[in-house]
Amino acid sequence: MTTTRRTLLAGAALAASFALSPAFAQGQTEIELFFPVPVDGQLARDMATLLKEFNEKNPSIKATPVYTGSYDETLIKTRAAMKAGKPPAAVIMSANFLLDLKIEGEIQPMDALIKADGKTNDQFMGQFFDALHGNAVLDRQVYGVPFHNSTPLLYVNTDHLKEAGLDPDKLPANWEELVTTAKKLTRRDGDRVTRWGMMMPSNYDYGGWILQALTHSNGGQWFNVDYGGEVYYDTPSMLGALTFWSDLVSKHKVHPAGVQAGGAVSSAFLSGQASMMLLSTGSLTHIRTNAKFPYKVAFVPKNVKNEVPIGGASLVIPTGVEGERRKAAWTLINWMTSPEKSGWWSRATGYFAPNKAAYDTAEMKAFIEKNPDAGIAVSQLAFAKPWFATYRTVPVRKAIEDELAAVLSAKKTPKEALVAAQKQADEIMRPYVEQTALKLPTN
Amino acid sequence: MAQAVFTAGRTSAWSAPRWRPRQASVLAFALLAPSLLFLALFTYWPVAQVLWQSMHGQIRVGGPQAYVGLDNFQKLLADAAFRKALVNNLVYALGTVIPSLVLALGFAMALVKTTRVNALFRALFFLPVLIPLVAAASIFLFLFLPNVGLIDYHLAKLAISGPNWLGDPDIALWSIMALTIWKNAGYYMLFFLAGLQAVPADAYEAAILDGAGPWQRLRYVTLPYLKPTIGFVLVIGLLNVVTQVDHVFVLTKGGPSDSTNLLLFYVYQQAVENYDAGRAAAGTLVMLALLLVVTASSLRTLERSFGEKEP
Repeated sequence: MTTTRRTLLAGAALAASFALSPAFAQGQTEIELFFPVPVDGQLARDMATLLKEFNEKNPSIKATPVYTGSYDETLIKTRAAMKAGKPPAAVIMSANFLLDLKIEGEIQPMDALIKADGKTNDQFMGQFFDALHGNAVLDRQVYGVPFHNSTPLLYVNTDHLKEAGLDPDKLPANWEELVTTAKKLTRRDGDRVTRWGMMMPSNYDYGGWILQALTHSNGGQWFNVDYGGEVYYDTPSMLGALTFWSDLVSKHKVHPAGVQAGGAVSSAFLSGQASMMLLSTGSLTHIRTNAKFPYKVAFVPKNVKNEVPIGGASLVIPTGVEGERRKAAWTLINWMTSPEKSGWWSRATGYFAPNKAAYDTAEMKAFIEKNPDAGIAVSQLAFAKPWFATYRTVPVRKAIEDELAAVLSAKKTPKEALVAAQKQADEIMRPYVEQTALKLPTN
Repeated sequence: MAQAVFTAGRTSAWSAPRWRPRQASVLAFALLAPSLLFLALFTYWPVAQVLWQSMHGQIRVGGPQAYVGLDNFQKLLADAAFRKALVNNLVYALGTVIPSLVLALGFAMALVKTTRVNALFRALFFLPVLIPLVAAASIFLFLFLPNVGLIDYHLAKLAISGPNWLGDPDIALWSIMALTIWKNAGYYMLFFLAGLQAVPADAYEAAILDGAGPWQRLRYVTLPYLKPTIGFVLVIGLLNVVTQVDHVFVLTKGGPSDSTNLLLFYVYQQAVENYDAGRAAAGTLVMLALLLVVTASSLRTLERSFGEKEP
């Protein structure tokens, strides 16, 4: 009859917890944190672990993690919650949406909170890598606290390199080497390709970021970092980047045609059907746990210079979150971005810890010693630039992503695509441009 | 219903002409009230809101809503993505409703006899209907994966390099249509099974005595009897085509290059991604008008086929 007794005990415990919970709830500030899962892996589970610990350490706050899908979907759901008059207390928001949210007046600056802690904005931001400031500090006000960040990274299956008679210690460092290596790695059976030398994700959200990385490596700019109404789609550096990608598909035939989703790229790499890929550092842990072969990572190969955009997300507080909830959100944000916690999150996911001090902790030193690939990802941050951000970032980005899809499917030449993308992006940003840069004094 | 109440009121009206008709209409409205309330709350009021929204929009960036007249409609018609979605929706409608209908009729005719094997097959064909659309789309997402997906994997065994099902603008819409047909054929089969069972056996007997072959029996007996069912399935199918976008959301998000963008998804994009409530409302109104035309004409055809004398 042990089962009965156990059931009884469990019932009693349950009843006790019900009886106790109102007492606990009193004086507790309930907040919710919207969080996305943009890459492969177990991020949702890790987030639950993280917030459980926070709640245990901060009994006066009850923070609930709310999974909100991809970066784009998180933006949509946050805006929907705000329209419904129930803004979440904090959101892990794709770093490049902050400018758009600021223009629309949907997130609040954190300057007062920072000042209340006895710090200046510069002191507060000083704890994070310099490359992350561009997408967090807007017009000298702090709108976001970097939480996890990434850059694209070249992943290479070293078994395939050896099979092809190449030196696994010498990974492609520039575009030329990338092409020759990819050609040697690609396997064909007649006209049919059985293994791709190179793959890059081109689905919405991912494609624009990868193309920005190629543009930076080609010496280009992509967008006006200081002004939300200007993108440089129809420029030589972008033409070079897009032509390079298009050539991998149509000319060298080492990269599959059409749109490839991020998940399809990592699956192909893990199953040995692709030898090299460009993917986020955020996928490091997923690849490390699932790869049944030795692999190495390297900087994104350059054409003109080593330069990549940052990716990842920052913590923001929506407009309308006030009083106790704002204070509680700030406590949560500071806790999550502390050296220890951002280090823990980085080890769990593969993202960078944006807090520089995280890399001075003993756990992190031991971790990087054991996983040198994580170290390479960090060193690339020195070459990172802000992520593309304008007024209405998502449609402006989609304008080029739709054209990228057309080029990768051989429907348009790179030049045609860029002209069309530029025209559409300018059209989308026109209201902002007309009300800011073009609004000149009349008398 | 309303007609029945009216007649009842009139027959008894002879005895008390002064108040009975009024009481009858009170009763009619009382009976209709719950439906009217819900219609007003969930249909007419939102339509009125959409009408208002379609003529309003942000004039200043980050500013409040203001009256903009027909601006939103002009922008809508000037948008290539909208015209593309319109065409896609038409292709999608014709390309899914008719094949699902033909398939469903085929299944139903093959499985109309109640045997144990047929019962099993009916269940198998009906299975896709039970799977939620988002779940079905997630399954197809893996089937359609280029290179590593189940379809391409098996094609590779036959030394065929499978296409990029969802990543090629020429193929993506057809891939999505395949999912829709797979999902809907079993559902429509149910209606046809019911319709077929209502065809009197002596009609077939007579046809056979007259020397009709299988095609003639289908053409002159089965199809005429099924006319109302076909009409009904057509209406349901066309409504589904416009109101379902879950699979587009899961599979392609309207891409690549808007090749799988459908009207409702376009409206969603304008409203939540581009943050343009005015244009989304204008798009909704265009969709509403199209739906009205489709249902009105279908219902008229339906009525006509119901009104016809039995063959």
